[in-house]
Amino acid sequence: MQEKKLGDYIVTVDRISKTFPNGVCALRDFSTRIRRSEVVVIIGPSGSGKSTFLRCLNGLEEIDSGSIVIDGTPLDENKKNRLEIRKEVGMVFQSFNLFPHKTVLGNIILAPGLVRKKSKDEARKMAMDLLMKVNIPEKADSYPSQLSGGQQQRVAIARALAMRPKVMMFDEATSALDPEMIGEVLDVMKNLAREGMTMIVVTHEMGFAREVSDRVIFMEDGCIVEEGTAEHFFSNPQKERTKLFLSQIL
Amino acid sequence: MSIKMSLSYQKIWLKLKRSPVMDVTKFLIVVAVLIWVMARGTQQLGYNWQWYQVPKYIFQFQDGEFSFGPLLFGLSMTFRITAWGLVLSMTIGLVTALLRLSNSFFARIVARGYLELIRNTPLLVQIFFLYFVLAPIFGFSRFFAGVLALSLFEGAYASEIFRAGIVSIHKGQWEASHSLGLNIFDTYRCIILPQAIRRILPPLTSQAISLIKDSALVSTIAIYDLTMEGRAVIAETFLTFEIWFTVAFMYLIITITLSITVNALENRFRIQT
Repeated sequence: MQEKKLGDYIVTVDRISKTFPNGVCALRDFSTRIRRSEVVVIIGPSGSGKSTFLRCLNGLEEIDSGSIVIDGTPLDENKKNRLEIRKEVGMVFQSFNLFPHKTVLGNIILAPGLVRKKSKDEARKMAMDLLMKVNIPEKADSYPSQLSGGQQQRVAIARALAMRPKVMMFDEATSALDPEMIGEVLDVMKNLAREGMTMIVVTHEMGFAREVSDRVIFMEDGCIVEEGTAEHFFSNPQKERTKLFLSQIL
Repeated sequence: MSIKMSLSYQKIWLKLKRSPVMDVTKFLIVVAVLIWVMARGTQQLGYNWQWYQVPKYIFQFQDGEFSFGPLLFGLSMTFRITAWGLVLSMTIGLVTALLRLSNSFFARIVARGYLELIRNTPLLVQIFFLYFVLAPIFGFSRFFAGVLALSLFEGAYASEIFRAGIVSIHKGQWEASHSLGLNIFDTYRCIILPQAIRRILPPLTSQAISLIKDSALVSTIAIYDLTMEGRAVIAETFLTFEIWFTVAFMYLIITITLSITVNALENRFRIQT
């Protein structure tokens, strides 16, 4: 593990709770702090609240109590604050959610043009650079439906990166992919980590966790059961529940 | 020799059966039968068909000058009413759908109220209401009353079609848009509506065709559209059957033109798959 310089705290989550209308309690007094350039991997069984946590961070879900502060901006009722956070936090979804009626290039330049007010040329150039970065520059004028799953997800990553976010969140980004394509997406994510992006990754890919994460959090029932560095986590888990979970997936 | 011949004839027959020739022939036979039935019926009525009288009520060509006959004037009036009606009803429809989906309780109530009120009363009654009750109060013309009634009525139905289209868009599209920082206006404009409208073009076309046909009802408040002119010509000439066939045919031309245009649009804007 190379020595990485982690910055100040960029994400501060203080005792957030979330219960869904159907009674399911997804997050219980959940707290954590994430530093700039840190790569945090969240693992846990289904329903443990991992996705809900990510979705609360950018406002897709509303928290019932507690507070979230991202790079100094609190996530509260203030519309400006909420917009600021949405701009600075990028999200990559399990089901890609690309815009089918736009080309790959169109997908990527849409938000920078509308939200960051970039000119079309600026946006286009940036988009091509990003497509190079995710290794599919030749697909710029294709439509999402003409791409494989792995390519689509890489476009989705490029699209999120186009907004130059400070934090990138990945919600089971490879779970819907065929095994052959998982690798190409994980490579992109690993590169991103090496470049110093702050990343919060919900995943089942333990190899990725071991290789690039700075911290692993194991969640169950809306709480953090155990957290630590990847080495500690996989070789020497402390809690019984952690050991049980790891034995099932490794 | 005979078996070989019958086999090749069989092949030809199978090819013919599947080709458009068969379908067109079947269609023509059905039409011929219908015409024959009508002819028999009217013969029994003792109706005197005078098709040769009809063209002069459509147009006149005198001294090298082309002029509209009453039916073409009626057609142009129907075009005017329909054009305004389509623009207004689609606008009202889209706005109402957006109101119904908005976060504001007030907006939702207003939209729902409008929808239920208009959908549950007959168009004819609404036309009369607008013309005999509201027009004198607010002082607008019969043309305005006709177009307004038509637009409000068809707009209500269009709004449900728009809403169905919007609601059918996958939630992930909203979430991706939200995560990229787009506001609601841009989300609708760039992501949701372009996809929704492509989906609902078929029922929207039906809706537009309904509007064109329902426009005939404004003849009841003495707007001289195609139907009204038809009635006027018949009152003068008693060419009942011929004129009504002609009028119906003219409406058919309008609606089929619309269908073909929308079909072409659908193909042009189809999302690539």
